[in-house]
This record gives sequence, C-alpha cells and structure tokens, in this order.
Amino acid sequence: MTIKPELQYSKDHEWVKEEDGLTVIGISDFAQDALGDLVFVNLPEVGDAVTAGEAFGDVESVKAVSDLLSPVSGTVAEINEELLDAPEKLNEDPYGAWIIKVSDVTATEELLDAAAYEAFCSEA
Amino acid sequence: MSELKRTLLYDAHVAAGATMVDFGGWEMPIQYPEGIVAEHLYTRSACGLFDVSHMGRLLIEGPDRTAFLQHVLSSNVQNLEVNQAQYCIIPAEDGSAVDDAYLYRFEEDRFLLVVNASNTDKDLAWFAPIVKNYDCTIKNITGETISIAVQGPKSEEILKTLAGVDEVTKPARNNLSTLMMEGHEVLVSRTGYTAEPIGYELFIKNEDAFWAWNRLIELGGKPAGLGARDTLRMEGMLPLYGDEMGVDEDGKPMPIFALALAKFAVSFDEAKGDFVGREALLRQSKAQACFKAKDYNPDAMATLPKRVRPIVLLDRGVMRHGMGVYRNGEQIGWVTSGTMIPYFKTEGEGADVKLLPETGKRAIGICYISSDVPVNGEVEVDVRGKRLKAAIPSKHISNNVPPYVVPVIYKQK
Repeated sequence: MTIKPELQYSKDHEWVKEEDGLTVIGISDFAQDALGDLVFVNLPEVGDAVTAGEAFGDVESVKAVSDLLSPVSGTVAEINEELLDAPEKLNEDPYGAWIIKVSDVTATEELLDAAAYEAFCSEA
Repeated sequence: MSELKRTLLYDAHVAAGATMVDFGGWEMPIQYPEGIVAEHLYTRSACGLFDVSHMGRLLIEGPDRTAFLQHVLSSNVQNLEVNQAQYCIIPAEDGSAVDDAYLYRFEEDRFLLVVNASNTDKDLAWFAPIVKNYDCTIKNITGETISIAVQGPKSEEILKTLAGVDEVTKPARNNLSTLMMEGHEVLVSRTGYTAEPIGYELFIKNEDAFWAWNRLIELGGKPAGLGARDTLRMEGMLPLYGDEMGVDEDGKPMPIFALALAKFAVSFDEAKGDFVGREALLRQSKAQACFKAKDYNPDAMATLPKRVRPIVLLDRGVMRHGMGVYRNGEQIGWVTSGTMIPYFKTEGEGADVKLLPETGKRAIGICYISSDVPVNGEVEVDVRGKRLKAAIPSKHISNNVPPYVVPVIYKQK
C-alpha cells in the first residue's frame, strides 16, 4: 500500500492537498484497493456545495456502490471529467487521479498526516 | 452464526491473495488480486478456474432412483444416458422453484445431483418426505470430492494436455467422461456457469485437490472468484437462485416459466408422467408459448405476469438487484441482477470472429418485468432516485460459435 508523505488524509480514506488556492480531493491507495475494480463514478457539478462529512458523489465497483465523503465544506470549482469515462484510473493511479477541486473552503474535517494515516490504516 | 465451512482449496486461495467472503455458509474467494474485471476477461479469452467445491453434491442410488428423480425434478431423467448431464429445476407444487440443479450420470446405477450451496439443506429437507415412498437413498457427498470449473476457450487444450487424450468428452455440451490425468482419476463434465461455449466442471478426489489446482494453473488457467462467476453468468443470462428464481421483491413466488430456459429444463413427455408442479408448469408453458407468438392475452398474463429478461442501461449509471423498473411512470418489475460488465471488442463474424485487445464495459443486467414488454422495448430504472433509460434486448452475448463468446451490443433505435 502506498501513502504519499506530502498529502493529508481523512478517516474516510480520502486524500487532500492544497494547490493554487484550491483543495484537491482524491481517494487513497488503501481505499481503491478495498473498493476493488471501479467501474463507474458519479461526480457533483461545478458550483455545487459540498459539506464536510457528507457525500459529494459515489464510486461503484463491480459488486457495490460506495459514497465519496467530502473532507471539507466549500464549493466545487473543478471536477475530473476524465474519470467519468475512465473510472479505472482511480485504481491505477489513485494519487494522480484527483476527483474534485474545492474553493471557498469554510470547514475541514480532522485530517491525518501520512504517518498517522498509516497507523490508522493498520488498525482498520 | 455458525462457523463458516471451507473447501480443501481454502489455503490455496488465501496464499494467492484472494478476498474471502461468506457465501451460502462457505468462506469463498470473491476475487483474487487482479480483480473481477481481469478474471472475467481472462475467462472469456483464455481459461478461468473456479473452486466450486461448495456446491451441494447429492448421490441418488437404489432401484427407484429414476422414478424418484422423475417425480421431483423438472427434466426427463429417463432420457439421460450414461456419460450425460442435464440441467433441471426442482419445482414446488405451485410451479415455482425450490432450487435449480444439474443432474449427472457418470455411472449406470447412480445419479449425481449438484445443487446450490446455500440451498443444500433446504433441498434435502424438501426431498426427505418424498424419498420415503421410493426404494432409493439420497446421500450428501459434498466434501467427499472437490470440484473445479475450468472455463473458457483454452480449457479444452489444458485438459487434453493433462489427460493426454485427443478428446476430453464428446464435443457437445452436457457430455461426461472419466479420465486418468497424470495418474489421477477425474470425472469431467462439459458444463459450466459462465456461458462459455467451451468449459468443463471437474470432480476430483480430495487427496488430488492441490495437484489438480496447481497443474491447471501451470497449464495456463487462472483462478477466478465468485465475483467474476456472477458477471459471467449474468452476461450469459444464466439464472441465480435468489435473484431470478425463488421469490420476487414482493415476496411472491416466481413461476419457473418466467425463465426463457425453462423450456429446456422442463419435460412434459409421457414417459416422465406426473411430477411435482406439473399442472402449474403446463399452464405456464402454454403462457410462455403465447408470449413467443406476441400474444399477450389476459389468461397468459395472469399465469405469467412477469418474465426474466435481459436489460441494458442506456443512460450513464449502474443497475443493481432490487431497483425498480418502470414503463410510462408505472412500476412493472425489478432489476434482479446488474452491474458494469467488461467485454472484448470483436472483429469478424460467425466462425471467423476474433477478440480484439480493446475492451469496453457496459451497464447490463437481468430484470423481472411485466411479460408484455417486447424485445427492444424501452423502460426506465430507478437508480437511487434517478429514472434512467434502459432497454430490453434479446440477449447480451452470443455463444453459439465456439470458441469465443461474442458480446451483442445494444444499438438504440
């Protein structure tokens, strides 16, 4: 399992980073491995509000649907449209395949650094 | 919760990195590290190996064995010659299914009935009061052998190599043979649950379990789990008890002739005589014949209100078991099985068909809907609150020209 030291992580297995004034969100390697082959992604639209701890979309594997839980509250500034046709990119390159970018962040869930996230995953 | 049962190959699955889940009281591999999509595609292009040792195996012996089976199964057991197998359903008196099963005749004087793992105890309890009236016995021999399904275009070559023979079984589906493979006796059946035109199920002595599993892998087979088994059977419209058989989402029994394949599983032959559910099944069979002629008369609709059909989603999304199917705003049934299923793009037709390296995926499944929806009829599916467009094609795949399954891609009118 890969954990990128430069990223922060939510307890729902999303990764978070700040880039050009936006909060970039994806799912961790642990998450993609646990979910299995992803075959479909539902994304919000640009301009939608997202709320920390609540679903902003979902990913579907062959067997099941899982909510994507937002680690922050704010406004969707960009979505990774490439994932709509190629959800498998979340399996192949979870840290390259960002899902949404959020602006005007008003609240953030408790985030873990890489070391704390690794410890959290090993307890799971 | 009682302890989960394990097949003899459990350690091999764990060593291969499989994700193990509870399936019908058995701890079984749902997938291996490469994942369901890769396992599905490998089976379609080469050879998938499935541990199906959890399936219930019942041995029926004694002078009245044929008469008993004629009474409790839907098929004509009299027609089954040595080294042949047949698909059959265990009907209830109302014409619904207690279970579906495969009947094998490897030997002159006994039958092997293979039933769903999760239904084994229920089936035994169902048979118990009936078998008392016949001079024969039912012995549960699940666990006395292991069973591996070897499925896909390369399966025949692999078994020919293993057995050192030119012919594994007679060419058509449902033929059986008993072969010596590297000094081990193996029962071979040209059957399977993947809709592959070429595929086998092996019954192997327990002491030969690891030899068989390892040799099949060395010769080019790859382990595939229950996840791929489900997507493969779904693509091939093979019913699964609990989804397309049993009771519907309203708790109502599903008539056996709701399934198109019932006409191959149910015999009204005079030689078979009366059997459990015959009267109800005969009515259902007539209704099914009406629908085939596009005659949706009220009697037929009352007998078979809904049928099991393929369904393909036209909008973006994924269908799942239990989602409602609608026509003009009115609910007409449910999705019984559905997911996103991968396929190989193909080139050429008929015997010249070739699989291309490119793959696609499509949101397809099986539904149980009002019998009067025509082929290519359009419906809607409630996918978690959104009504998405879907259509009812005639089939998802074509598998009548070996060795490859050819996907039938729905083209919207």
